[in-house]
Amino acid sequence: MKNLIDKVIVEPLREVFQKLVAFLPSLLTGIVVFLIGLGLAWLVKLLVVRIARLLKLDAALTRSGVTDALQKMAVKDTPAKLLGRTFFWLVTFIFFVLALKVMKVPVIDQLLEKLLLFLPNIFVALIIVTIGWLLGNFLGRATLIASVNAGVKLSSQLSRGVKAVILLFALVMAFEQLGIGRNTMIAAFTIAFGGIVLALALAFGFGGKDLARTFLEKRIKKNADAGTDDLKHL
Amino acid sequence: MAENAPDTAGIGPAASPGPDEVDILVGIPSFNNAKTIGHVVRAVEAGLTKYFPGRRAVLVNSDGGSTDGTADVVREASADLDSILLENRVGGFRKLVIPYHGIPGKGSAFRKVFDIARQLGAKACAVVDSDLRSITPEWIELLIKPVLEEGYDYVSPYYMRHKYDGTITNTIVYPLTRALYGKRLRQPIGGDFGFSGRLASFYLEKDVWDSDVARFGIDIWMTTTAIANGFRICQAFLGAKIHDAKDPGADLSAMLHQVVSSVFDLMEEYAEAWRSVKGSERVATFGFVYAVGLEPINVNLDKMIEMFRLGVRDLETFYKSFLPENVLSDLREAAARPDRDAFSYADDAWVRTIMSFALAYHRKVVSREHLIKSLTPLYLGKVASFVIETWTSSAEEVEGRLEKLCLSFEREKSNLVESWRRTP
Repeated sequence: MKNLIDKVIVEPLREVFQKLVAFLPSLLTGIVVFLIGLGLAWLVKLLVVRIARLLKLDAALTRSGVTDALQKMAVKDTPAKLLGRTFFWLVTFIFFVLALKVMKVPVIDQLLEKLLLFLPNIFVALIIVTIGWLLGNFLGRATLIASVNAGVKLSSQLSRGVKAVILLFALVMAFEQLGIGRNTMIAAFTIAFGGIVLALALAFGFGGKDLARTFLEKRIKKNADAGTDDLKHL
Repeated sequence: MAENAPDTAGIGPAASPGPDEVDILVGIPSFNNAKTIGHVVRAVEAGLTKYFPGRRAVLVNSDGGSTDGTADVVREASADLDSILLENRVGGFRKLVIPYHGIPGKGSAFRKVFDIARQLGAKACAVVDSDLRSITPEWIELLIKPVLEEGYDYVSPYYMRHKYDGTITNTIVYPLTRALYGKRLRQPIGGDFGFSGRLASFYLEKDVWDSDVARFGIDIWMTTTAIANGFRICQAFLGAKIHDAKDPGADLSAMLHQVVSSVFDLMEEYAEAWRSVKGSERVATFGFVYAVGLEPINVNLDKMIEMFRLGVRDLETFYKSFLPENVLSDLREAAARPDRDAFSYADDAWVRTIMSFALAYHRKVVSREHLIKSLTPLYLGKVASFVIETWTSSAEEVEGRLEKLCLSFEREKSNLVESWRRTP
């Protein structure tokens, strides 16, 4: 009976305990590495914020409309602080991975390997979305000002449309980079984009033919009126 | 070097044996102006012969690579002095046809003129546009004599124009430069100027020839540089300015961008010079001043007011990023007036708008190009308001009205100086 208890309960428990004792140094090392990483991340964050402020990043990004866009997305941090925070999490993540690596757990090792191989794709996808977002804001604003100066009554809608299309492009490219539903995304984008253009053409050509006629008449009349302005600005 | 060599074309017996040293230099920048430049060259020749006999003079055509035979027209153009002048019928000046190189633009063409003026030791210089239809020999006298005989360094043109001509000058450039630098130069971006050889050398030393000054904005740059550096300035009344129609498709916002960004850039450069200036003073004016007729012209007020309202509505979010609340509320109030005849964009509101744009430009709050292009609908609103207010006014009354606008700019300047000083 005692042998049975030893075999069924005590031996496995002893094995688990021995494994735990053998694993403990790795675990402790992992925790220490992670804590060092946290401290380093905090220092890196301070350094990045300071450099960003020295380079007047906040003012530059306000100029390009990034701060405005961030506020619209309920991000209350300034761009410099946001950059610092990003670096904090980046360094923390790197040390977290290192800590896991130090622990030498085979399953985690395999998962990490896959994650590390995929990481560049995530990074590139993030860059694509960020560039698309910045470009969308800048070109959206340029479109708004140019169309207001051209007297286009639907300037706001036009500007939002330009911004949305650019962001959509960026998202499709990012998803393609990540390999998520690559063909589906491209097909969805093509169908959606083509559909919008077709819908607009149909709506304008059939549903709104009177509106189209009125619009064109107004435009032509407006251009004719514009020609009669004799003001010399310079 | 060979392609830079001047192509000289002597006219008549020259008063000096060669273009080693000259008293007077007249520059004409050109680019495909074969149709009009002949008249300008003849007027310059007649002016030099009539008003400066015995003086050594040279005409420099600084050309940007014309392909329509402009250079040939310059070489061949010759005034019939017998029919123009009663005495001193012998011309004595040389013509140089020189291509300029580098960035294409009026600024680069002027740089070549300044360079030759320095090489030839010219005492007095003038530059006139090559598309002028109304230039007379008297223009040369009026642009050169104040320099040669009165000791002035810079002669700004003063044209008599229709009350609704030059609205960018009238509503922005003149009142702003007057308030900033304290000199009442009525046409700071006129296009035709007189200047001393000393000032030409000073211009040449400035490190601006690879900037936008080479492309556009040379006119306001020359005027502001002369004032801000303490050169003796005056203006000369030249009468009407009629020139070839500019490109009718030229975009207003691009035009506004070129002019206003030049003025704002100069504000940055000469901040020390203008911050201490208070009020403004008259400058000496040469020439016989007269008014021109006021033929009715077509002004599409509805379109301008509509553009203003559209701008205030659609660009409000953008304006919020750099305009203070009181300016925004002025704009909203003006845009909300339903009756066209009651439309008004008050001087004080306009002045605060321009000052806020200047500050935002200085602080680089938003993209500078976006900033200035977004001024277009507001500018149209101010022009519409001005036209409504002065529709039945005479030319003198309109000048009086502009004087009030200038005084508003001068009053608001102290706030600008204070805000500018607080900018980090």
